[in-house]
Amino acid sequence: MVKVGIPRALLYYEYYPMWRAFFDALGAELVVSESTTKDVAASGVARVTAETCFPVKIFMGHVISLIGKCDFIFVPAVRSMEEKVHNCSKFLGLPDMTRAVIPECPPLLEVDIDMEKKRELYSSVYALGRHFTWNPLKVRRAAKLALQSHGEYKARMVREGKTPSEVLEGKSEQRDGSSSVALVGHPYLLYDDYVNHRLISRLEGQGVIVLTPEMVSQADMKQATHELAGGSYWTYEDEVIGAGGYYIKKGVVDGVISVMAFGCGPDSVMMHILDRYARRERRPYTCLTLDEHTAEAGLATRVEAFIDMVRKRR
Amino acid sequence: MKVYLGIDVGSVTTKVVALSSDGQVLSSVYLRTEGKPVQMVQQSLSEIRQRLQGVPIAGVGTTGSARYLAGVMVGADVVKNEITAQAIASLHYVPDVKTIIEIGGQDSKIIILRDGIAVDFGMNTVCAAGTGSFLDHQADRLNMRIEDFGEIALESNNPVRIAGRCTVFAESDMVHKQQLGYPLEDIVYGLCQALVRNYLNNVGLGKELLSPIVFQGGVAFNKGIVRAFEEGLGIKTIIPPHHEVMGAIGTAFLAEEETSQNGNVTKFRGFEVTEAKYATSSFECKGCPNQCEIAQISLDGKVLARWGGRCDRWERVD
Repeated sequence: MVKVGIPRALLYYEYYPMWRAFFDALGAELVVSESTTKDVAASGVARVTAETCFPVKIFMGHVISLIGKCDFIFVPAVRSMEEKVHNCSKFLGLPDMTRAVIPECPPLLEVDIDMEKKRELYSSVYALGRHFTWNPLKVRRAAKLALQSHGEYKARMVREGKTPSEVLEGKSEQRDGSSSVALVGHPYLLYDDYVNHRLISRLEGQGVIVLTPEMVSQADMKQATHELAGGSYWTYEDEVIGAGGYYIKKGVVDGVISVMAFGCGPDSVMMHILDRYARRERRPYTCLTLDEHTAEAGLATRVEAFIDMVRKRR
Repeated sequence: MKVYLGIDVGSVTTKVVALSSDGQVLSSVYLRTEGKPVQMVQQSLSEIRQRLQGVPIAGVGTTGSARYLAGVMVGADVVKNEITAQAIASLHYVPDVKTIIEIGGQDSKIIILRDGIAVDFGMNTVCAAGTGSFLDHQADRLNMRIEDFGEIALESNNPVRIAGRCTVFAESDMVHKQQLGYPLEDIVYGLCQALVRNYLNNVGLGKELLSPIVFQGGVAFNKGIVRAFEEGLGIKTIIPPHHEVMGAIGTAFLAEEETSQNGNVTKFRGFEVTEAKYATSSFECKGCPNQCEIAQISLDGKVLARWGGRCDRWERVD
């Protein structure tokens, strides 16, 4: 059986069930890299130039950790998920960057996802499937199953109020506490315990119920993004502005914490939009910035102070 | 009268206050931490002990970046983050305070309060430019004592603009300005303005700085910075009497609150801690590929607490 490596980083938390269904249907075996560790992070940081972001460095670390464990590594280039909505250049060039910084990595399985070029999207998916079968109908079936799994995954998290770590990794989060906080940001920051210094458990340890973007329906997030920013410009804007805006507007939580990677261009704009909105609506809000230099002590102080403030303000 | 202790162990200085239940600072100690938090806590506590002459302690609180370490050492009733502690102390001296500017050794904070409640706060993000350490280093390079820095800055009439975004760039800019022949006082005040600019544009970004503004933390000793803030904001700042130990005062107030809810029983180990033999050590955990560096503090061979793990494997101490 052909072994396909999946780095447990970046878009993994967003699309893993989709990828699993696709490769399963084509008879491939998936090898997912282990959770991020110090070694994984260090090996990625050592390879990539400083100008990229921490999540990309973590991704490269995961690719390195898969060397020798699989025949291929799946690295999609997600260019655009809807018309006139763009993705960060690091996602566009991810396969090329991977090859450039890790020349010794196994051959990459690539796919270009660009909803603005539907016709090319089909041929790109067929080209990916051709590594496993010459039968286009089989690829088509795999793609259908993949989309279906993705829909079920997303719907389940909204319906059951679950996080990706709960669904994908069998964790279970605390459901009772004396206050509640919405944690918004990209899943690769929220659910990688190494990157965020166990942020969710840290909050739960202080008696806080944590709500995340995945628990908000697509329609609600879209609407909030529209109200705050006049619609998305960036792919994955909904999980920041949409979810943050929704939680602030609804007032179902006592405060909102957003998480961004240091040096992230798109996020730096989104965080400002959220900050202004929270201020206007008079809701407690703070933004945490993470990178490989983030010290646990500084993060702990900010989180503790924010929770104190939220409780006093209520 | 009951007496409460507040201990604030920061990155650069260690502060201890003895606070009476009516909010009077009976005694305070301000020392450089010099990377030896355990010894400095012991040293400052023994000074306080001498000055108090046998007055019993009704409660202890700790804060600052070494708050957990200090808390375990002395047996604290409350361990609180710096932001909350600073805000509580400030509210005691200036009950209608709306903005707190706090600049310490390695971090700077802004706390926005409305009607006596903190509604927003900010801290410097990823770098220490715009903090006390920045001035400390520049003073070192100019071969002057940090204590004289403020007085010299006040003599300036034509401050020089210095790029203060980063300590490294500030140095090259400063050397350049020195070589062009600018007078020392103008360079020194230029540095003060650079710090304030940095603070207002980063930490204070997007925040509404309303009067009354309280300026506290060790850097408030520096008259040059005070002048630069007042010129930059166009508002007078209030510098409370014990501005450098506000965090310690705040946590002493919190200790009072905590013990009064717990039937007036304190967990304080007593002043004997000043003579106790604490040992700190560290080791690398081999439990998983993370190889966390675990630090531990022990007393007479018995481990009191451990830190530094990414999981809770070492957190339980029996």
